[in-house]
Amino acid sequence: MSVEPASSSPAPRKEGRPQVRVLVAGEDGGSLLQTLRQWADEAGCVMEAAPDLPHAVRSLAAERWDVVVAVLGERADEELTWWVDAMRGAAGGPRLIAATQNPSMGLVLRAESLGVLDLLALPLRKNDVLGALRRVRSAAVEVALPLPEVEHHTVGQYALVGQSPAMLEVYKLMARVGPSTATVLIQGESGTGKEVVARAVHLHGPKATGRFVAVNCAAIPENLLESELFGHEKGAFTGAVTRKIGRFEQAIGGTLFLDEVADMSLALQAKILRAVQEREIERVGGGEPIAVEVRLIAATNRDLREAIAQGRFREDLFYRLAVVTIRLPTLAERGEDLVLLTAFFVRQFAERYGKRIQGISDRALDLLGNHAWVGNVRELRNVIERAVIVASDNTLRVEHLPDEFRGEEATLADRPQGALLPLVELEARHIARVLAHTNGQIGAAAEILGIHRNTLTRKMKEYGL
Amino acid sequence: MSSSSLPPVRVSKALDLLPDVEAVAPLRALLVSLARPDERAMWSSSGPYLTLGKRGLQPEELARHLSQAFHQVTDHLQVLYRAYVQALEAQQRNDGGEVVAALLRAGRLEEGAGRLLQARAWYDVAWHASQALQDRRPEVEVLGALGRLSLALRDYADAARCFQRSLALAEAEFDQAGAVTACEGLGHAALWQGQWPGAQAWFARGLRLAEAAGDRRALGRLERQLAVLGGKQGDLAAATEHIRRAREWLEAAGAPDEMAQALITQGHLDAQLGRHVAALAAYREALAWAQRSPHDVGLELSIRLSLAELQLEAGRLLEAEEEMRRAEQVAIAGSLTARLVQVYTLMGILRGRQQDETGFVFFEQAIELCRMLEQAPGAEAQVYLDYGLFQQRLEHVEEARAYLERARELFATMGETVKRERA
Repeated sequence: MSVEPASSSPAPRKEGRPQVRVLVAGEDGGSLLQTLRQWADEAGCVMEAAPDLPHAVRSLAAERWDVVVAVLGERADEELTWWVDAMRGAAGGPRLIAATQNPSMGLVLRAESLGVLDLLALPLRKNDVLGALRRVRSAAVEVALPLPEVEHHTVGQYALVGQSPAMLEVYKLMARVGPSTATVLIQGESGTGKEVVARAVHLHGPKATGRFVAVNCAAIPENLLESELFGHEKGAFTGAVTRKIGRFEQAIGGTLFLDEVADMSLALQAKILRAVQEREIERVGGGEPIAVEVRLIAATNRDLREAIAQGRFREDLFYRLAVVTIRLPTLAERGEDLVLLTAFFVRQFAERYGKRIQGISDRALDLLGNHAWVGNVRELRNVIERAVIVASDNTLRVEHLPDEFRGEEATLADRPQGALLPLVELEARHIARVLAHTNGQIGAAAEILGIHRNTLTRKMKEYGL
Repeated sequence: MSSSSLPPVRVSKALDLLPDVEAVAPLRALLVSLARPDERAMWSSSGPYLTLGKRGLQPEELARHLSQAFHQVTDHLQVLYRAYVQALEAQQRNDGGEVVAALLRAGRLEEGAGRLLQARAWYDVAWHASQALQDRRPEVEVLGALGRLSLALRDYADAARCFQRSLALAEAEFDQAGAVTACEGLGHAALWQGQWPGAQAWFARGLRLAEAAGDRRALGRLERQLAVLGGKQGDLAAATEHIRRAREWLEAAGAPDEMAQALITQGHLDAQLGRHVAALAAYREALAWAQRSPHDVGLELSIRLSLAELQLEAGRLLEAEEEMRRAEQVAIAGSLTARLVQVYTLMGILRGRQQDETGFVFFEQAIELCRMLEQAPGAEAQVYLDYGLFQQRLEHVEEARAYLERARELFATMGETVKRERA
């Protein structure tokens, strides 16, 4: 392993700054370590070395580190994952700087998605190393902002939070439909809060004293869903070890919530239609009809009209379910609700996990605001819960956010917003994004990109994707 | 519309179209390893309940990887057939030792591919051939292989018989390494049958023999077994001392995979002592060692499952679930169906802790996977046992009783009791 001669870049001043602790790990010691030690000293950092991954893990468990510099070997992609995995949960949330002989665009993008602070090429250059260390320092300077007060409407163990115009429309519709027993169809992307709205409609309706029974139609395997909904008699099929009361029966006098209703088979849709029309069901293996007086609320993240056009959803059932339709906005459409939801979840989880978190840093809030929330409120809730669990003081900071957020920060830190990218980088990033969208399917990605699959395969190889 | 832009086929549907015949077992394994979760479903309300059956598969991708499967099958058969030809050539030369060695190679190849019954068939032939030899060391080796295989098949009585005979022969032949292996195997057989004093005696005897032979790896392994035993007996002070020595021996011997195993045991002991942070550190270091050895997916999975169990025990359900999902991915990518059963059982247990009724889907998936496995009554029994406890937690008394009864029946067919298995 080699090191390029140091350039004349000025080192950051030592005065008045917190001392950054750097752990250097790699199979090779010698000259690299010596040079790094010299640079670290100039940068006012404390540096120690570990010969390999297992010993580095021991050091990470025993002491607090700010940065780990890992020298990757031939299987750089795999090793990068190991290092991120090894550093998970380490005290102080150290950042990883990886060094490799063969950096590729694919490796850079992978490093970003894993939250790696920087991926440097070997031989190391002083400017690159000092630049990365400077970013650790600047990331350490985060301003704590107090959490805003949040008004919310409690729905059992959940809550409705938000004041955006899009949510106000939802509240109005809920208020109108609540007092009736009309069947409601709730549509919205994954994680927009369909079940919370369904519970709220139930609680404000005439069947509020009855049970709210939720069934996730996509979670339950198709061969088990019928007996889950309608119940079964003992011995009706292999595995029917006892009589089972189905969810329809459980919901008598209350509300049955059919989540992800578009995921049902056509045969089962016919049975649901019959139950809705006749208000009676039969258990699997049973001959007696059972009257079921329930309010039905259904939800889906799919476009049911499109599913009808494709022959995957019954039109008659759609009209039975969609007596009233409530459409939920995505988190991106809810504007400042993001901050309110963040504050609400921070307080909720801080109480649950016995933490005293009173604020969130400006940088963390920026990252939350810039994130593309594919999973909407559910994703936000998950991110905040995770952050609260790992937070050890009274402010949520960037280091508490998941790896991919830290990767986003690494991308943005040295690059002003709107900076112009080289065409190849832009192309590589776009291809990576499309491949992620198609779940790695090259054919589907090529179709979206409008290029031949061979061209895509070539470009993937070229960019190391 | 090209086929690649069509939605993927669900794995459950794909498996329904594949008959349960041995010839397509590699195809089934390939299919499973290529299964991917639908990214859009990850954040849906059914996302937390995603299992292998609900993953998707593009036929086009399977087609693209077929040649890889053909290579694997032909490579496997080539080595297997070559081993047989080598045995034949040795027979022609009247080299009985080499006959046995070649047959053992064939058996090990099958065992490595998870085809345990086929492996046993090769070992049986090898054993038959070894009995005719004057030199008894090949027989010691074959009996060791048969014993280990019986342990894997949970046939502990048969394992004990193999190791007993192997020990007697090894001692007669002054074969120290063979004797150490036999003692270790006998200790395992006793350990799994809950016979603690017997296990203690065999491991201690193995340790003395390994000391005499100066075999650091064996010393490390046996110290680790004594630590496992100490943990089961509740003698945590002794167990901690044994595992400290095991780590010293194994690190000095430069055995990364066995070092990782020792760290798993260290983690279990720390967890028993309520030292959550120390246990976590031990498992993380175990992962690091596992990655230094030639990549053993099974070992990595064991560590991840231990991590998940630790988080589950500590009530850190979010971290537990994350770790389980990582374990699931490792098991699927490595086609480790038997271990996937463990992953889904653990996910079901986690949902039970959350009083989430829909968690039953994980047990159902685990049971379905057990049926795909060759010789898995133990695994299936364990799933039913945990399924029963899950139903009990949800106060579904009748279902709980029915599943526990099924577990008892399955354990009984294996000559074990539920109590023993839990111990």
